[in-house]
Amino acid sequence: MRKQIEGVDFAVDEHIWGHRLYDEQLPHLAVLEFLGVLGSNVNNPLQAAPTERVRYRPQRQIRLRGLLFNNPYVESVRERAIPDEDKWKAWKELFADDATGLGDDDMNYLQQVFLSFDDFAKAIELLRSSAFEARSNKRWSSKFVFPFGPDALYEDLRVDSGGASNDRRFFARTGELMYLMLCRAARGPELGQKLIERIFNSKVPMNRLVKALQGEPQLANDARDVGYLPYTSHPRFDRLCEDWLAILSRDMPIYDALEHLITSAGLNLLMYFLECSKTQSGDAEPVEIVCEIVSRERTKVRALSGDSYQINQALSLRAVRTAVEQIKLTDVWSAALGSEDPEGECAKLLRAWFQWPPASGDDESDYEHISGDELVRMLAEKAQSRHEQHFGKIHAAWSRAIGLSSRRLARRTRYAPNDRLLKTLVVTIVDERMQFDEFLHEVRRRYGLVIGDAEGAHLVREKQVDQEALSENRGNLEMRLVGLGLVRRLSDSCSFVENPFGSKVDD
Amino acid sequence: MDASQLSGQCASSPPASAWVRFLRSYGPTPNNSNLFDEYVTGALGRAKVQPITLTSPQLDKMKQRIASGLPGSILIAGTAGDGKTYHCRSLWTSLGGNPRDWDDPSLVKKLPLSDGRCAIFVKDLSELSDELSDDALGLLERSVLGSEDSEFLVVAANHGQILERLRDLGFRQGRVHPLRKPVQDFFLLSGQVPDRLAIYDLSKTAHRQSLEEVLSAIAGHPEWDSCIKCSLQSAGRICPIFENRERLLGANDGGRFVRRLGDLVEVARLNGWHLPVRDLLALAANMILGHSDAREGLMACGDVARHQDAGTAEHGNLYDNTFGVNLSRRRALDRPVFKALASFGIGEETSNGADGLLVYGADDQKLANSFFRLVGSDPIYGATPSYLAAQQHYLEGEETARLENGAAEFLGRLAAQRRRLFFTLPETETDYPFWEMTAFRFAGDYLDMTVALALVERKPVNETVRARIVRGLNRVMTGLLIENTDRIFVASSGGFTQSKISVLCDTEAPSRRLGGIGMSIRPDAQTGSPTLDIALAQGSTGSVTFNLSPVRFEFLCRVAEGSLPGSFSNECLEDMLAFKAKLLRKAELLRALRQNEDEVEPGEEDGALTLSFIEIEQNGHAFSRPVTVRIGS
Repeated sequence: MRKQIEGVDFAVDEHIWGHRLYDEQLPHLAVLEFLGVLGSNVNNPLQAAPTERVRYRPQRQIRLRGLLFNNPYVESVRERAIPDEDKWKAWKELFADDATGLGDDDMNYLQQVFLSFDDFAKAIELLRSSAFEARSNKRWSSKFVFPFGPDALYEDLRVDSGGASNDRRFFARTGELMYLMLCRAARGPELGQKLIERIFNSKVPMNRLVKALQGEPQLANDARDVGYLPYTSHPRFDRLCEDWLAILSRDMPIYDALEHLITSAGLNLLMYFLECSKTQSGDAEPVEIVCEIVSRERTKVRALSGDSYQINQALSLRAVRTAVEQIKLTDVWSAALGSEDPEGECAKLLRAWFQWPPASGDDESDYEHISGDELVRMLAEKAQSRHEQHFGKIHAAWSRAIGLSSRRLARRTRYAPNDRLLKTLVVTIVDERMQFDEFLHEVRRRYGLVIGDAEGAHLVREKQVDQEALSENRGNLEMRLVGLGLVRRLSDSCSFVENPFGSKVDD
Repeated sequence: MDASQLSGQCASSPPASAWVRFLRSYGPTPNNSNLFDEYVTGALGRAKVQPITLTSPQLDKMKQRIASGLPGSILIAGTAGDGKTYHCRSLWTSLGGNPRDWDDPSLVKKLPLSDGRCAIFVKDLSELSDELSDDALGLLERSVLGSEDSEFLVVAANHGQILERLRDLGFRQGRVHPLRKPVQDFFLLSGQVPDRLAIYDLSKTAHRQSLEEVLSAIAGHPEWDSCIKCSLQSAGRICPIFENRERLLGANDGGRFVRRLGDLVEVARLNGWHLPVRDLLALAANMILGHSDAREGLMACGDVARHQDAGTAEHGNLYDNTFGVNLSRRRALDRPVFKALASFGIGEETSNGADGLLVYGADDQKLANSFFRLVGSDPIYGATPSYLAAQQHYLEGEETARLENGAAEFLGRLAAQRRRLFFTLPETETDYPFWEMTAFRFAGDYLDMTVALALVERKPVNETVRARIVRGLNRVMTGLLIENTDRIFVASSGGFTQSKISVLCDTEAPSRRLGGIGMSIRPDAQTGSPTLDIALAQGSTGSVTFNLSPVRFEFLCRVAEGSLPGSFSNECLEDMLAFKAKLLRKAELLRALRQNEDEVEPGEEDGALTLSFIEIEQNGHAFSRPVTVRIGS
């Protein structure tokens, strides 16, 4: 019996990827949601067997987020030439106008916290400067302070006259699934411990500042279950876990490591998405991502990487169709067709698999006399059209968000990794240094990225591209990495990728 | 002498033409990049001239090693053009090997030695099949890590090749090859190799000395003596080949030209460029023979008369040739040496003063003296009649000069004059500092600092230079235009280190080392380049170091002076931000350490938090202002 997913009309994508991955939950939002789950499980971080229920009760921190993102008056009040006491008074009046009434009515404590209004304004300005999307036009309750520590974490909310609720606009459970993935990775508990040590240190100055603004934490009303992840283990879960452990072992401040953790999460989630698509469609070839390394001169790899992008973009939709149609190849389906009530039996079977069609007795139960094949066709159509709304956009949205795809200098989107992604790859893969060729081999092995002629040898054989173009592409990457201070050339024939944060510190 | 007479002589060919033809074969022609040692050996036989000989200190060391009877093998490593084959062959013959055996096509050669051992020579590892290579590497391992004493290997390979073969072999044997890491570490200047392995890395020779040696071997070659009786160099005629050679010898400028070129090569080396000897030879040949209007960009004696008659001899000047102006862009950029020299931007870079002199100098009374002294005094490559004419033409603003590209001819000449000025401006001309003619305006200070640090009794770094470094560092750290030179702000934005502006002062360190804390500048043990070492706490684990290459130094100085050049800043900025991140990480670790100690003394934790904000006074001086946050009891 398949797991029943609540709150959906039918379950197709959910059984391929889980409930759920969501295109608009970009990697940094997934990581923030993940940290929220982790924060509720600090005593047994990333330790849950696949059969265990994982629950969490996220923080809401209405005062903190209100001060940072629903409080445009601090600057103007600070600039007024009036005594400090009057500034506080003026500001409190203004703030009260927009207050939500969800624990932010009395802000008098701030006057005890800061010696002057100016100090308060400075603190707000500082926190805003490092916040995610502080200047975007998102609603204020979907803006996030940098995850300095346990007190800086809170969930995405919709706040209106009816109160606050999680409408799953940007925290759509992708972070919850990440939590499950990492629980199911071999070294999950080890990673959990490391994350708690590094990120959940309430004593670090920035967390203490955040805490001073927020006061006591505000929690969601109830604890809740996390979403559904169909696999009890998956090589990609281990890859993600290993990558994160590697990043955390680097000799860099945790706040910098977070940037790489986010990009790495995005890349591995994207790979998970593509890999599950392929598996579902019965395609055993590993995912391949042909990357153009953009250089001053136009390269021949561009067209190829554009094609590669298109091919991968089409994978998930095909997976959805196969997922529905494959029911027709099963013995139970044949049995249902051969039964006395083929329509009814097929519908029942479909319902057990996909929670569709709705059971009779529902308002419009006119599915009763439709043939099994027709039902499959209808469901496939429905599933595909629903897929295109969000799941189908994941490849495009996430690959852009992590800097893997781009339309720079071209009309169509193709894979053209940017500097940030390349840096994350080096920080993740290279312990101290690694020969450049080995590095290319490794990015291919781990993430299917094809850049050089050795990795793309089959493309050359198939005459899709000439070898020179790929080796030029490889050379362009080398130059780019030199420019980023990440490659050291020993001679023409030999260069090393070096991780500037590689020297491990025993702490 | 008129042209017909001259051509008569040319038919019987000028006296040094065989030598010049031979020298030409060293030049940057497309066909001399492979099998160079073999090729030159043949060319030498045909030209019947004395060879160009260079000393080889490495060869002497190899001979000593073998003579000492120490067990173990020899690896001759280097990049293309370092002379691997040359060294291998010379070692072979010096040990009594027959040159004819060397020339036969077998890839692995055996040479029994007088001490009873047998040396196995592999002159190029990349030529071997997997099978032969496995055998050779097997012997390497047995003789280095095992107890094989009767045979040893002499193998030449480029860096990538030997590492690749070791990796591949290890992979096929299901293990990590035990020699790979030591060899790799040795190449990267950071490791030890087993006693029984002698590695001679030909890429690690000091460039300035190699350059000087190559130049004097070529410019001082005895074959030039035949030019004295050449008619192309008499009766007021100036042969550009001979003129270039004379200027290289440096009799008239006190060796300034070679010194300046040596400076460039030294700066390039410290920026990580490796210039193989073959490239230095090609550079020297090109400097003397280069001319854009010659076959393959290199003159032979037969071309000279034509250029003299056409008045185009000046286009073969060594200042242009040094940068490969005579070659097509693609061919020049094929050679590391021209790529390295191109990175200085000499010809494009200039100062207002120098350009004013070159453009208006001939007419402007205030400049006339300087113009004559620095340009006019050189009628061959400086103020030539055609340069003066082009200058007039440009200044008069005739019709064609206003058309698009109408000024291109003059601008091309201007670039050539700037190149000349870089090499000819005396150090005493303080109005026209020659480093300003390059993209590395502060390279002079850099080299001085390197020299000062290299002295046995180390001289302190010049105060102005130190202040500039600190100011640059502070501006990069904070993203603010601050002037402080007494201390270094290790600043954070609160979030990512990459943020443009960091107003939170995490830690401060004095800009000079006091009581074990603060910044010191010391030379890198291996390259000799200056290294910044910032200690946030006492003891060996309290500091973070940053290698100050010329390009990074330039970056810091320019930032300190208030400008941020776009062209080479990205790489440096990334390097600096990584350095900053490491400092912040160090501070994080030290803080954690202190916190653990503090736990013993209760009371500190819950009281108050102090954040230091960096604020700037009117005069640009920054200070950190504490903001106290009382944390609820």
